[in-house]
Amino acid sequence: MSGIAPAGDPVIPDYGQASECVINNGPFCGDWFVDQWATVFWPPLVDHIYMVIIAVVIGFVIAFAAALIAYRKRWLAGPIGIVATFLYTLPPLALFQLLVPFTGLTLLTVEIALVCFTLVIIFQAVLAGLAAVPEDVKRSAIGMGLNQRQLMVKVELPLALPSIISGLRIATVLTVSVATIAAFVVDSGLGSPILKAVSSPFNTQFIGAGALAVLLAFVLDGLLVIVGRVLTPWMRARV
Amino acid sequence: MTHSSTDPKTTSTTNSSIVFDHVTKLYPGQNAPALDSLDIEVKSGELVCLVGPSGGGKTTALQLVNRLVDLSSGDIRIGDRSIMDIPAIELRRTIGYAIQQSGLFPHYTVAENIAIVPNILKWDKSRTTRRTVELLELVGLTPVDSWLGRYPSQLSGGQQQRVGIARALAADPPVMLMDEPFGALDPITRMAVQDEFLEIHRAVGKTTLFVTHDIDEAIKMADRIAILKPGGKLAQYDTPAEVLTHPADEFVAEFLGAERGLKRLALTTVAEVLVAKAEPERPAESDLPKVEADVTLREALSVVSAAGAHGARVMERGSHLGDVTLHDLVDPPANAVDARNGEGVGL
Ligand SMILES: Nc1ncnc2c1ncn2[C@@H]1O[C@H](COP(=O)(O)OP(=O)(O)OP(=O)(O)O)[C@@H](O)[C@H]1O
Ligand SMILES: [Mg+2]
Repeated sequence: MSGIAPAGDPVIPDYGQASECVINNGPFCGDWFVDQWATVFWPPLVDHIYMVIIAVVIGFVIAFAAALIAYRKRWLAGPIGIVATFLYTLPPLALFQLLVPFTGLTLLTVEIALVCFTLVIIFQAVLAGLAAVPEDVKRSAIGMGLNQRQLMVKVELPLALPSIISGLRIATVLTVSVATIAAFVVDSGLGSPILKAVSSPFNTQFIGAGALAVLLAFVLDGLLVIVGRVLTPWMRARV
Repeated sequence: MTHSSTDPKTTSTTNSSIVFDHVTKLYPGQNAPALDSLDIEVKSGELVCLVGPSGGGKTTALQLVNRLVDLSSGDIRIGDRSIMDIPAIELRRTIGYAIQQSGLFPHYTVAENIAIVPNILKWDKSRTTRRTVELLELVGLTPVDSWLGRYPSQLSGGQQQRVGIARALAADPPVMLMDEPFGALDPITRMAVQDEFLEIHRAVGKTTLFVTHDIDEAIKMADRIAILKPGGKLAQYDTPAEVLTHPADEFVAEFLGAERGLKRLALTTVAEVLVAKAEPERPAESDLPKVEADVTLREALSVVSAAGAHGARVMERGSHLGDVTLHDLVDPPANAVDARNGEGVGL
C-alpha cells in the first residue's frame, strides 16, 4: 500500500486556546467539533454524499439494465450473476490496488470500485423482484392484450419495486461504508479525516467523522424508505 | 331461459360464435396431446361450460382461443374469422378474460384495474369513468364511490372476483373466456356470485366459454356443457338436462356422480311443474310444508323429505299457487323439464 496513503498530516493544530477536552484528547469534544465543522467535517461529508450517490446511480443503471437482459434471456442470468458476485467478493483495497495502475489516484478509481460493489446487490434485487411477479397477474395482463413493453412498464416493474428499493437500500448503506476506504486513494470523503486521525490519534476527529458516516447511512436509507412508500402506495393499503 | 336466437341481445349485428374446428394441442416434449381434435361450436350469446378432470385440457382449450397457447392443428374461428388471421394482441383486446384468483393487478385500484383495457384502447377519460361506474353497479359494488379507490388487497375474494368480471367486461368484448373464475370462493359466496354472473350474462348476452371442474356449477350456469375426458377428448356436448338424462358413456355417468338424478331435478322449478300440470288441484290439506315458487325440485324434495310429508304447498309472495305431490317432484311431467331447455340446441 506504500504508494497510495496520503495520510500523515498533523491533525491537532495548535489553536492557542484549546479546551481541556482537546488537550486531554477526550473521546469526543463537542466544542472542537463545532469549531471545525466547516473545515474538517462539512467538505468531506459533501464529497462523501456525492461519491455515494454517483456510485449508486451508476451501479443502478448498469445492474438494472443487466437484470432486464438476464430476465429476458434467462440463460444469461447465471453468467452475469457470477461476474457480479466476483466483483462483489474482491476486497475493496485489493480492487483499488488493481485499478490504480490504470486509472491513477483519482476519484475515477474510487467510483469504479464502489460501483462494482453495488452491482451484485442491485442486480439480484431487480431480478428477484421481477421473478416474484405473480404468474396469474402476468397471465391476465397478457390475456387482456398488453404487449411486452406494457407488461414490463405497467406490471412487472411496479410489482418488482419493493424488492428493487430494498436492494438500493442495502447497496447505499454498504457504499456509504465502503466509500470511507476511498481515502486510501483520494483525499476525499469522510474516510480522509478518519484516516488522518488514525495516524495521529485524535479521538474527536475520527469519532466525529465515523458518526457522520453512520448518520449519513441512516439518512440515505430513510430517504429511500420514504421514496419506496411514495412509489408503492398499494403496499400500505391493508384493511 | 336458454339464449334462443330470438333474443335481441344475441342477434346483434355481429356473429360472435366460437367454433373449435378439429383443435388439437400437443405441448412440446409431451407424447400425448392435451387436447385431441376438439370439435364444438359455442353459439353467439351462449354460455358453455367446459368441465372435466384435472389435466383434461380445459385451460388449454380456453387459452387457445385468446392465443396464450398456440394451436398444434385445427382452427378456431370467432364469428367466422380465424383467430390466426388476427394479430394476437389485437385479438386479446376483443376478448374478456377472467381467471381464478381474479388476476387483478395488486398495485392498481379497482378503478384502475377496470380501466386497463379501455386505457390501452385509448378511450377518453370521461368515457372510461362512465363505463367503470356502470360496471361496478352491474356487479353490485355500490355505492360505487366507496370501491373505486380500493386496492385488491382491501377486497374479499368474492369482491375481487366481481371486479375481475367487471374488468373483463370493460371494453364490451363480444366474447368472454373464464377459467374457474369462482374456484377460490367459499360455497356461499360462490352461489351468490354465480347468480349475479348469470344475471349479468342474461343482460349482456356475451358468448361465454366458462371452465369449471365443478359439475354442479356447470349444470346451474350452462346452456350447454362440454365434458372432456383425460387425454383432452370430448366425451359429450349437450344441454345440462340431456347430459344428466342421457350420459354419452360410462365416463360421463361416473363424472356426473351418483346424484345425477337429483342434479337433474335441480334444473326444474316447482313453478314449472305447476304450469305443466295444468289442472290446479287445491286440496285443503294445510299441513303440507310451504316452498317458494322459484325453488328447484331438488330443494323442494329436500323440504318435503325433511317434513316427512307427501307434497308441498307452492307459495309466491304469500299467496298459494297450488300444490305439488311427491310424485310430481320425483318424476316431473316431461313438458316441465323441457320448458327450460326449450329449443333443441344440439349441433
Ligand atoms: N405449458 C405446458 N407445457 C406442457 N404441458 C402442459 C402445459 N400446460 C398444460 N400442460 C399439460 O396439458 C394437460 C392439460 O392441461 P390443462 O391445464 O389444460 O388442464 P385443465 O383441464 O385446465 O386442468 P385443471 O382442472 O387442473 O386446471 C395436462 O396434462 C398438463 O400437464
Ligand atoms: Mg385449468
